[in-house]
Amino acid sequence: MSSSIAAEAAPKAKTSSPMARMAGDWLPPAVTFVIVAVLWQVVALNNPYVLPTLESVGNSMASDPHMYWANMLVTCQEIVIGAGAGILFGFLLAVAMSELPIIEKAMMPLIVVIMVTPVVAIAPALVVAFGFGMLPKYIVTGLVVFFPMLVNSLAGLRDVDQKALDVFKTLHASRWETFRDLRLPGCMPFVFAGLRIAMPLAVVGAAVAEFVAAGQQAGLGSLVTISAAQADLPVTWASIALLCLLGVVLVSLLALLRKRVLWWSDADVIGR
Amino acid sequence: MPAPIQASNDRYPGEAGVEVANITKSFGPDEARVTVLNGVSLTIRKGEFVSLIGPSGCGKSTLLKVVAGLSEADGGKVSINGKSVREASREKAIGLVPQSPALLPWRTILDNVSLPISINPNANAGRKLRDPKEILTSFGLGKAIDRYPAQLSGGMQQRAAIARAFVFDPEILLMDEPFSALDEMNRDQQRMGLLDFWQSNQKSVLFVTHSVPEAIILSDRIVLMAAHPGRIAEIIDVDLPRPRNEALYATDAFRDLEGYVRNALRKVMEAAHV
Repeated sequence: MSSSIAAEAAPKAKTSSPMARMAGDWLPPAVTFVIVAVLWQVVALNNPYVLPTLESVGNSMASDPHMYWANMLVTCQEIVIGAGAGILFGFLLAVAMSELPIIEKAMMPLIVVIMVTPVVAIAPALVVAFGFGMLPKYIVTGLVVFFPMLVNSLAGLRDVDQKALDVFKTLHASRWETFRDLRLPGCMPFVFAGLRIAMPLAVVGAAVAEFVAAGQQAGLGSLVTISAAQADLPVTWASIALLCLLGVVLVSLLALLRKRVLWWSDADVIGR
Repeated sequence: MPAPIQASNDRYPGEAGVEVANITKSFGPDEARVTVLNGVSLTIRKGEFVSLIGPSGCGKSTLLKVVAGLSEADGGKVSINGKSVREASREKAIGLVPQSPALLPWRTILDNVSLPISINPNANAGRKLRDPKEILTSFGLGKAIDRYPAQLSGGMQQRAAIARAFVFDPEILLMDEPFSALDEMNRDQQRMGLLDFWQSNQKSVLFVTHSVPEAIILSDRIVLMAAHPGRIAEIIDVDLPRPRNEALYATDAFRDLEGYVRNALRKVMEAAHV
């Protein structure tokens, strides 16, 4: 019995050396990327008006890094403020809905109506209402991430261990104690599932916001539309690559955070 | 309807701990209403270990839920040391051990067992709170206090859940088939652990079980329930000496009583099928 106290690290396949294992993890995707790059170059060299060559994209970034950096910061700002507010609001509304069912009853139909309305269609109206500043872009980015956060958080707050809830009830735990010690930590796996959906959507939201609520003509999304209109393909594709990079960074940061916060929900991490 | 059966028990002459009086409870819509508890009356004296046993559908878990305040009875009254269930709950007088350990996976075993002390702290005044570390050690979990529930076996998790119910010194412990999810060998080990601990910390316990030997070895009295409608069929005194241990299983007195309880259980189940 006492041997089961000692947490054995989950034994991984020990047949290969660490180097070989790393190669096994990295090699297949690397091969895929190389094949895509080669195909890209073949198409680009034969059809210069369809795709720019990879070196022209790289040259474009290297020749004017400040321009790209400045535009990337604008897009980042939209993501941090807009998506941040959308995530926070989605989560807080989920808490309010799970604690007070009347709020859900009152607000859910309106929220569904807003969510089925295409964001692309709302954006111009937002520009009319709020001007050409950043606000309409924040709103569009926030709207895109709001719904997955709300729905996932709400599911998580409802997915309480009923037996644990019974223990809390017999202890006469207050609503706040039940929330703080049971519902809030318990809903985190769902919150992170929501964030996993929201993060890539935040990049989409920011880019779309710049397309449809142009105004200041800044940000990587604006850069895509402007350069594409001028058939400046290296700039277009460099901007797309940076948007892509932004998404990858966000998702990776989220994975790191999840590991720190949610280690307990991954049974294989702590071992059995 | 038979009159409420009240077995005499002179071993605990003190005042009544938990008084269950004429509880009725039914479920379902009017046309298909099922009576789950039909006039159930029962007294658990202070420091007495009482088991509820009976076929499925006899309402033993429902009765436990009513005493725990997790389910509202249609009629009748439960009092815990003279208080209503609601008052008792407010004073943290009820310790619950659910069927599954229901430990919080993000808390260490020590933090899980400390939980009832930090919850509803107003009710801590003037009670003999136990040291969580000490109680875990006496449950054989001294080396596991910094582990997380997922790192422990099912039996150890259930033991931690029992420690969590004892730690805040409640007046009544309610256990709902706490060992039913364990395999037989593990179950017997946990049973003995509970027996040892309880014999040195005698608390009122209401213990729901499916196992006849488990009920006999642990209890002072066994309440045999019948189904459709759920009611008390018989209350059986377990007049076996304490302190008890595994050796008791092999005695004639244990076997005789086991035979008697099984027979009574069979009669109750046959009556339900007629």
